[in-house]
Parts: sequence; structure tokens; C-alpha cells
Amino acid sequence: MSDADSNPDADANADADANDAAESGDRDYLRVADISKWYGDEQVLDDVSFEMDRGDVTVLIGPSGSGKSTMLRCVNRLAEAQEGEIFLDGEEVTAPDVDVDELRREVGMVFQDFNLFAHLTALDNVALGPRRVLDLSEAEADERAHAQLERVGLADQTDSYPAELSGGQKQRVGIARALAMEPKLMLFDEPTSALDPELIGEVLEVMHDLVADGMTMLVVTHEMSFARAVADEIVFLDEGRVVERGPPEQLFDNPEKERTARFLDRIASHD
Amino acid sequence: MSATSTLALVAADSPASVGAVATALTALVDGGAAPLQIGELEDWAFVFRNADYLIGGALMTVGLTVASILLGFLVGFPAGAVETYGEGLPKRLVESVGVVLRGTPIVVILVFMYFVLGVPSIDLGVVTLSGAVMSGILGLGLRSAAYQSQIFRATLGSVDDGQLEAARAVGMSQLEAIRHVAVPQALRRSVPGFQNEFTIVLKDTSIVFAIGLAELLTRSYDLFVERTTAVLEVIIFISAIYFVLTFTTNRALDYLGEYYAIPGGESA
Amino acid sequence: MADSTRPANVSDPGEAIPSAGRLLFVAAGVVFWGWLLATWVNRWLGGPVVPVGEPFVAPGTVESALAALPLLSAYATDLAFVTRISPEIARGIWLTVVITVVSLAVGFFIAVPLAVARVYGRLTAYVSLVYTELLRGTPLLAQLFVLHFGLNMGQYVPVALSDVFARNVVWVAILGFVLNGAAYQAEYIRGAIESVEEGQLTAGRAIGLSKVETIYYVVLPQGLRYAIPSWTNEFVYLIKYSSLAAFITVPELYYRAFEIASDTFRYPMIFAVTGLAYLCLVLTATELMARVEDLVAIPGVGGDRER
Repeated sequence: MSDADSNPDADANADADANDAAESGDRDYLRVADISKWYGDEQVLDDVSFEMDRGDVTVLIGPSGSGKSTMLRCVNRLAEAQEGEIFLDGEEVTAPDVDVDELRREVGMVFQDFNLFAHLTALDNVALGPRRVLDLSEAEADERAHAQLERVGLADQTDSYPAELSGGQKQRVGIARALAMEPKLMLFDEPTSALDPELIGEVLEVMHDLVADGMTMLVVTHEMSFARAVADEIVFLDEGRVVERGPPEQLFDNPEKERTARFLDRIASHD
Repeated sequence: MSATSTLALVAADSPASVGAVATALTALVDGGAAPLQIGELEDWAFVFRNADYLIGGALMTVGLTVASILLGFLVGFPAGAVETYGEGLPKRLVESVGVVLRGTPIVVILVFMYFVLGVPSIDLGVVTLSGAVMSGILGLGLRSAAYQSQIFRATLGSVDDGQLEAARAVGMSQLEAIRHVAVPQALRRSVPGFQNEFTIVLKDTSIVFAIGLAELLTRSYDLFVERTTAVLEVIIFISAIYFVLTFTTNRALDYLGEYYAIPGGESA
Repeated sequence: MADSTRPANVSDPGEAIPSAGRLLFVAAGVVFWGWLLATWVNRWLGGPVVPVGEPFVAPGTVESALAALPLLSAYATDLAFVTRISPEIARGIWLTVVITVVSLAVGFFIAVPLAVARVYGRLTAYVSLVYTELLRGTPLLAQLFVLHFGLNMGQYVPVALSDVFARNVVWVAILGFVLNGAAYQAEYIRGAIESVEEGQLTAGRAIGLSKVETIYYVVLPQGLRYAIPSWTNEFVYLIKYSSLAAFITVPELYYRAFEIASDTFRYPMIFAVTGLAYLCLVLTATELMARVEDLVAIPGVGGDRER
């Protein structure tokens, strides 16, 4: 990776400034409107709403069980919301007649526990979608997979199986796999939570690069310094409800709600 | 031919073969005279007239199964322990005998016991077990021992080494540690494997047909040879008995497994 | 075929110095399969080497040669007898092998959909459950009786197939083993599919594969690898249980052995030889499957799973 030895924090600050400048206009690239969801009697999402512009980075934070991951999964319909609507690039994602496979082609997802296809090499993991879903030729798909693996700094690991990779490498393959579909939007579900502390940096670095490339990203994470550095907006969820949302400086430094402050204190004391 | 009523009767007994029975019936109707008629009421009447004869065979099946499983346990458990904890010649001997028993068809083992070894009959006072019965029990039992040893080897081996170390640490001898710590855990984990083995032995008792022992399948054969029109009825009837036996055995062992399960303990 | 079926000489480069036991094992395998193939080929070609049905070495020669040796003279007549019956035994083994391999292969293609239906189906899950429970809950011999004595399936064998074997009853036996084996294989494969992590399915769906595509491209390649050890078991079981075909008059190994025994009353020798032949087949199958497992092995999938 070209900038592997540069300081990620310095990068991050530069990105944050760039994003601040870009913020503008009616934000309706992704519009989440009044989403509610129940598992049986238990309500896990309660009237959740937020919007993102193209190229925005929104970070969902909140205590475990607050519905962050479920919210994320509603966007690519791995979970179904019972009420509310989600629009992506003008199309209603939540409409009953939407082809979910079509939708998922356009929305990339990165999982907490990687979920790499255990029987495929890194290259085949990335190339499977282009081959089978986008119907590219073997050669085209391989070429695209190569390019994406290079982008995440794994050009030398194309033939390794998941079991032969470190956690950080696995997650970078997971990111490449999602990128290979050339998605409109990337969803990250706690991408660093399953990693040993010393491996978190390499994954965050790749994510920083994506931000710099202008990728639209919806991220669930507990990495608050990452959130502060790159997010255009932070959405704080608790018990399925949006407690507070705003730009990181405001939400982190001057939270309006007491619950937000308490959550941030708890997180900070762990850091 | 009263096709509809008898078809219903057949269907009630064996859902899977309805399609086959239906095709066969059509073939019979189309083809005119066939040597075999399916689902005739008289044939079913024949089956039920001889039901007690078949039930007698079923009792023999159950007896054979229980005796063989018991023999298999008495031989197989120590064999499994030797394979797990033993070394040198005893271990190699047990392993080799096991490979041979597991590598030979049960019918060859049974015929070997009966025709070659000529296992003698035994007088138990109350009943006399004929040479065929003894051959059946020995053949099925020793083969089962070879398989049961593998179940117990796997479950004994799956008991964490730390368990034995802990037992040694409180002053038990190696043998005591195995007996009081490893064995109770291993036996509980063996239930699923044992369940499988039980039904295999139960079904394989049918193979003593080869040495003419009058258990369920042999008796059914005797019956349908006597009345060749009733072949399907007889076999469906005894298949139902076998199915009930395997099904109840499985549920009973499920229950046993749950009853003795250790909370949080894994089964193998 | 000749070289690919026998477990000879392809020894693992990893074990540079094979143990004496291993060498003996491989040598025995070479002798067994060499003899079998030679006998079969001689029969197919109409007996260019020795007349069909005759052993390669005349029993009389074996007897006189061994009688001259001080240690083996006691066994001379026995071994001459074994030599005499060897062509018949080889003939029986041929049917045993064919029945086993065909039944296992065809059964596999029924078992995979059965297992997939059981795991991912709704109504089909019940159909699959009823099928497997019914076939696993009744004795194989009873099932063969149903097909042969009860339904006389031999009469439905299509003309194209009935020329393959001398008698249609071989097809009835194969049908029985296919139906029964499919139920057992389905059960093994179901277990293996269920051991594939849920996240694999989610990840497949997340890149836009349909459910069927995800099962085909992601779940089955992993599940079938997990299934290999239990599948080996099924292979071994089928070799042994193919002997039951004898009871519906299929002239496979056990049938031929029993016929010779009834004619000659030399039960101990014949069943020792028969048992040994089955053991050789079983060990070959185990060895073969171990190689298949190595061949398709992927780090982290099946075998010793490291996670």
C-alpha cells in the first residue's frame, strides 16, 4: 500500500475538512424515513429517520442492542422494516415489488465477522459477485477483483484462503468484495469489532481511503476517533430511537441530550 | 378388483409407496393377468390371521437386538477404553480385530458363526437358545462391539485432558480418574452415537434370515412363500412393525439423552 | 482405469520413508487389484491368457509347488482350492463393485436435493423428512424384498438397460440401494450443510446472489467437503450391504461364495476368503476417499477446521 507508513490521524483530519466543505443542499441520496421494526412484541426500531447526500459518511453509534445493526440491514433488506420508507438515489428500497437481489448489487456490505466464503481464495471471494451476479466474463471479473484487492493493499494475497489470512486481511478482502460490485452505497457493520487491537488500524486506513475517494458510507462502529475524523453526521441511537444527530464536533463536544453525554462518557472511560 | 378401498388401506400403511403401488396397479389392470395381485382384501385378511405369528417374530427381533446390544456394550466399552488409553500390543490387537469386524459384511459374519464356528446351543434352564440364536447374538453382538468401541473411543477421547489432570491432582490414580471422571462424561456424550447403533442393530437383525432364524423378516418370508399373492401386504405389515420399533427406540433414547444431559455439556 | 483405481505407488511425498506396515498394505493392494483387473480383462476379452473361468495358475501346480516347501506344505491343498475358486470370486467382486459404485453415485444426486429441501424447504422439507425417516426406519433387506418379491420391479426395466447385466434383478438391487442410500446420504449431507455458518448465506445474499445461487455457489461447495468423512462411511456400508442383493438372487460376491460353499462344504476357507475380499474393498474405499479428501481440501474447510 502506497501510504502504508503515513500517519492515519493526519490523513483523517484532512479528510474531515474536505468533507465539511462539501456538505450542502438537500440531502436525499439516501433517505430513511420513520423506520419502525418489531421482533415479535419487542420494538427494535422506533421511527428512525436520517438522510445522506452522495459522498456523505454517516456513522451510527449507540449501546449494543440499540438497533444500529438492524437499521443498517434494513437498507439492503437483509432485515425488513415493518413501517416507514427508505429511498436510495430516488428509488424506494422498501417497496414490496423491489427486486432485493438487484438492490443488493448496488449496496455493498461489510460484516463484523467478515463472512468470507471459506472455500474460495481471496481473489475468488471478490470475483464471485462480478462473475455470477454481474455476469462479467472470467477475465473481466478477475481483473476487477485484482484491482480491488490492490486497492485494499492485498495484491500479494490473491491466492490465499480465508483461513490463511489474519483478521485484518480478512476484513480488507471483505471490503474489496463489496467494492467489486461498484456499489452506490457501502454499509459497514462494526467492521473492526472482531479484530485484535493491533489489526484495527489497517482496516480503518482502508476505510479512510474510501472516504477520500468520495464513497457514500453508512457505518456502525465503536471507533469514536474514526467517527470524529471522517463523519459528516453522527446518529446516536438508543433503544431503537434516534436520540440525537448532528455533525461530530457538535455531538461529541456539546451533546444536547443527557443520554448522549452519558453514553459518550462510558465509551470514553473504556478507551 | 376393488382397487379404491384397498388402495386406501395400503396408503394408510405406507405413504411413500403409494405412487409405486398406484403404478403397479395400473400396470396390472392394463396388463391383464399378472402373477401377483396387490392390496386384495383377502390377502390383508391373510396377514391379520397370521398377525400373532409375525408378532412372535417381532419379539424374537427385539430379543436379538437387546441381547446383541448388551453383548456389544460389554465387549465394546472396554475395547474403546483400550483404544483410548491403552498402548502397545493390546491396543493394536483390539484395533485390528475391530477393523476386520467393521470391514466384513454382517451376513458373512453370521454365516461364519453358524456354519464355520458352529456356535453351540445353550440351555438357560427356562429356555434353550438354539445354535442359530446364539450365532445371531454373537455375530450381531461382536460386530456391534466393534462399532460401539469407536463411539466410546471418540467420546472418551473428547473428555478434556484437564479433567483427568484435575482428578489426578486430587489424588486419584489413573484408573480411578478414568472411572470416576472420564467415563461418566463420556457415557452421556455417547447417547447420540449409541442411538444410531441401536437402530442399526435392530434393522440388521433381519439379516439372520441368512441362517434361517425365525425372526420377523424370516417369518414374513415363510408367510409370503406360502401365499405368493400376499407378498406386498406381508412386507408392508412387517415394515410398519420395524418402523414403529426404530421410531420408539429413537424417541426413548432421545428422552434418555435429555434426562441424563449435563447442563451446558456438549454431546458428541 | 487400471492405474487410477488402485492405491499404489502414489505415496505421499510427505512420508519419505514409509513404514513397513504401510509398504505391506500398499503391496497387498497392488496384488489384490492386479489380480482382479487381470481376471476381469481376461474374461471380457474372451480368455486370451487362460480360458474364461480358469485361474491363471493351475490349482495342481500350486498344490505340488507348495507341497515341496517344508513350511507351507500343510496348507497346500487349501491354497490350491482357493486358487481354483478365484475366478468365480473375482466375477462376484465385479458385480459387488459395480452395484456399489453405481448406487452410491446415483444416490448422491438424489441425496443432495433431498438434503437441501430438508434444510431450506418448507413443504418439501416434510416430504424429504418422511422419505428419509421411512427408508432409514426399515431394514434394507425388507426394502429389497418389497422391490423384488412384492413389486417384481424387474419387469419394468427398460430394454436399453436390460442388456447391461445378464439379469434384470441386478437393476432391482441397484434401485433398492439407490433409494435406501439416498436417504442415508441425505442425512449426512444435511448435517454438513447445517454446519456451514449462517453468515456465509447472508454474505452471499448481500452481494446479490439469489438464495438458490447462494446454496449452489457458497453452501454446497463447503457442505459437501464437510460431508466427505461420513460419506466415506456410507461408501463402506454400501460395499458391505451390497451382499444383501444375494437374497434377491443377484450373483455378486456373497452369492457366488455361498454357492461354492454349498457345493463343496468348505465353509471356513470360502468365508475367510470372502471376508478378506470385502475387507480389501472396504480398505480401498477408505484409502480412495482419504485421497479425494486431500485432493479437494481447502484450508479452513472440512477436516480439521481451524477458526
